[in-house]
Amino acid sequence: MRPLAGIRIADFTVHNAGPFCTHLLSQLGAEVIKVESAMRPDAFRKPHPVYGRMGPATFDQVASNKLSVRINLKKPDGVALAKRLVAVSDIAAESFRPGVIGRLGLGFDELKAVKRDIIMLCVSSSGQSGPDSHFAGYAPLFGAWGGLSEMTGFADGPPVEMRHVMDHTVGMNAAVAVMAALHRRRATGEGSLIDVAAREVASSLLGEALLMAAAGQEQHRTGNDHPRMSPHGVYPASGEDCWISIAVRSDTERQALANLIGASEVSEAALSAWTAAREANQAAQELQAAGIAAHASWTTPEIAADPHLRVRRGIVEVSEPDGKTRAAVGVPMRLSKGADIGIERGTPRLGEHEDHVYGELLGMGRKERQALEESEVIF
Amino acid sequence: MLIKKQTIDHEMFAPPLANLRVLAHAHGVAAACAARMLGTLGAEVTLIEPPGGTPLRREPPFLPGGTSALFAYLAAGANSRVLDLNMVDGISAMQCLLSEADIFIDDTPLDQRAAQGLDEAIIAANHPQLVHVSVLPFGACGPKAGWQAEEINILHASGEGYLLPNGLTCELFPDRPPVKVYGHFASMQGGIAAALGALSALWVREEVGGQFVDIASQDAALAVGAFAIQRLGDGSVEHRVERSFRYGGVLPCKDGHVELLTLEQRQWEGLVKLLGEPDWTKDPALADSLERSRRGPELNRHIRAWAATRKVEDIVREGQKLSVPLAKYYTPAEVLRDPHEQVRGLFQPVEVPGSGLLDMLVSPFHFDGAPLALRCGPPVLGDAA
Repeated sequence: MRPLAGIRIADFTVHNAGPFCTHLLSQLGAEVIKVESAMRPDAFRKPHPVYGRMGPATFDQVASNKLSVRINLKKPDGVALAKRLVAVSDIAAESFRPGVIGRLGLGFDELKAVKRDIIMLCVSSSGQSGPDSHFAGYAPLFGAWGGLSEMTGFADGPPVEMRHVMDHTVGMNAAVAVMAALHRRRATGEGSLIDVAAREVASSLLGEALLMAAAGQEQHRTGNDHPRMSPHGVYPASGEDCWISIAVRSDTERQALANLIGASEVSEAALSAWTAAREANQAAQELQAAGIAAHASWTTPEIAADPHLRVRRGIVEVSEPDGKTRAAVGVPMRLSKGADIGIERGTPRLGEHEDHVYGELLGMGRKERQALEESEVIF
Repeated sequence: MLIKKQTIDHEMFAPPLANLRVLAHAHGVAAACAARMLGTLGAEVTLIEPPGGTPLRREPPFLPGGTSALFAYLAAGANSRVLDLNMVDGISAMQCLLSEADIFIDDTPLDQRAAQGLDEAIIAANHPQLVHVSVLPFGACGPKAGWQAEEINILHASGEGYLLPNGLTCELFPDRPPVKVYGHFASMQGGIAAALGALSALWVREEVGGQFVDIASQDAALAVGAFAIQRLGDGSVEHRVERSFRYGGVLPCKDGHVELLTLEQRQWEGLVKLLGEPDWTKDPALADSLERSRRGPELNRHIRAWAATRKVEDIVREGQKLSVPLAKYYTPAEVLRDPHEQVRGLFQPVEVPGSGLLDMLVSPFHFDGAPLALRCGPPVLGDAA
């Protein structure tokens, strides 16, 4: 059973963080209706040459499984239409800059007026309050503000910017908050306004370093070193740019490693020489057999082809509307009574599901729809 | 500026998961992280520890009083109960606790579960209404379910390990191996996914009863790195060198580093203003985003030269006024002192054994305009006995 079957989300989120949240919830069974317009499609439907390519290439994953409708929120009738959608939804999600959704007339109070127990999720860079709440930002900025990037990198180098993993971490956190709000609604009958600040999600990943700082003990970046484990790091494997990660946790494991590599004592040089002479996956097998935590540093093709991830449905095949299939990432869990969770559909075309949403769900007649299309409300 | 701190009346505010009972048998970060998330959302969390305490109590870094900062952070708000699950009495006591819990989070290795009365079948038979969440590096099923892994291994098994660093670090150290994300990034993804799985399973408990939730930190870390798989489907193999931003990224300044990322045309136009509209920006060809991308290294030389003579705070303040996405690279101490976070109540003073009152991060969520709250600091071993 898909646990969120029967839950509907009016999804106004854009870019990555918010859309990943609703994408996860859709894989758990929620009906997610993504709202865009031809004038303002999701920014990630468009190309971003700063990444060095013209294709969007980032939209399909987070748009999968969603229904798509067009609403022009710049028009009052568009706002009214959005409210009709919210009125039949359990959750409204947005990720504009703080203040924008309110100025559109779709703030929490306005939405509560049309759906008393609505759960509203607001995802933003810095949260809905505070002196920096108006700041614009993307994943690398969240990591910078939050302290995670400053702590990541080589001790003698600069900080390292976080990429999409940061966005999606925000989205997965937001999905947990939404689930908590659903439980609260069930218990109390009340909706919730959820404010998720992306930079604070980044900070939540280094709680121990923040606590050390609170005690006056500032931490610094240390590359691949670990304060307790040794050897601990990434070592060369045979082949160009091939690596293996190894973490040795105890004297017993160090001795086992020494035995495996044929050295009287484990040194970084001896270990590197041993790994460099082996294919990474083979070396990992040998290390695991000796009781040592190890794994090859996998490229994306290796991950996509991994039998373990395929068995777990961590990697799945998705069919797109054009009939092509592609590898996609599944929902990161297996439920003993929910074998059917996951991606059902690929990327929707803009406005693809308006017959269902406007016709069946909102009971809109053909004439009304046509009028809204002619007045560029459904546009 | 007078900073008004957001406060919360903990007596009046009923957190979202009030009345939920969670048992956590956590030896590692992922399971403990899941329990912490549910605890900050209001659940009553009891940490089941072996005699001597969970190994997390012995994980660095250590606070001046000797308490593990990692344990203190992850166990804040929880109670501690000591049970020896190698003894019959301990197993029996555990079964009693399970009968009163809504959610059980466990990271015991698979091959040790049956002896401790904790395997899937035993729990399903004895506690049919319990949501049983298993959290392991590679999950509870699949060819690698028995594999051992620490944080660095999970990162490299899930993709992001190979893809970092990018940008400036990659330029400076092209021959070094990949570098990991600080701390326990991948394990915490497992924890977040476990919290999500627990609440999803709980949502349908009335209809289907309890169930087994199988979480792999590898799956969760892979999920947040989804775009690399997406691009593979589009025919592009991600690599840490190629995925660097063509211009912008980490900019060394006079007194630190700043992050710059302009995706939209209007943001580029704001950046040009911020730079003072120098002659090189007036090349008409640069109005085209693809051309800027092609000439990224050239643009970056100009931008880096400009940033190197300026202070971080000045760049960020003026840039954000022009809606140019810019951020200072904050140290943990700067996050802690940040006026923005003080206003939002991100930190709460809690008692940490051996260290006294310390400001601890609570949660990145606000509900109904207020931050969440920790019940208390980390527990003394066995405080709930």
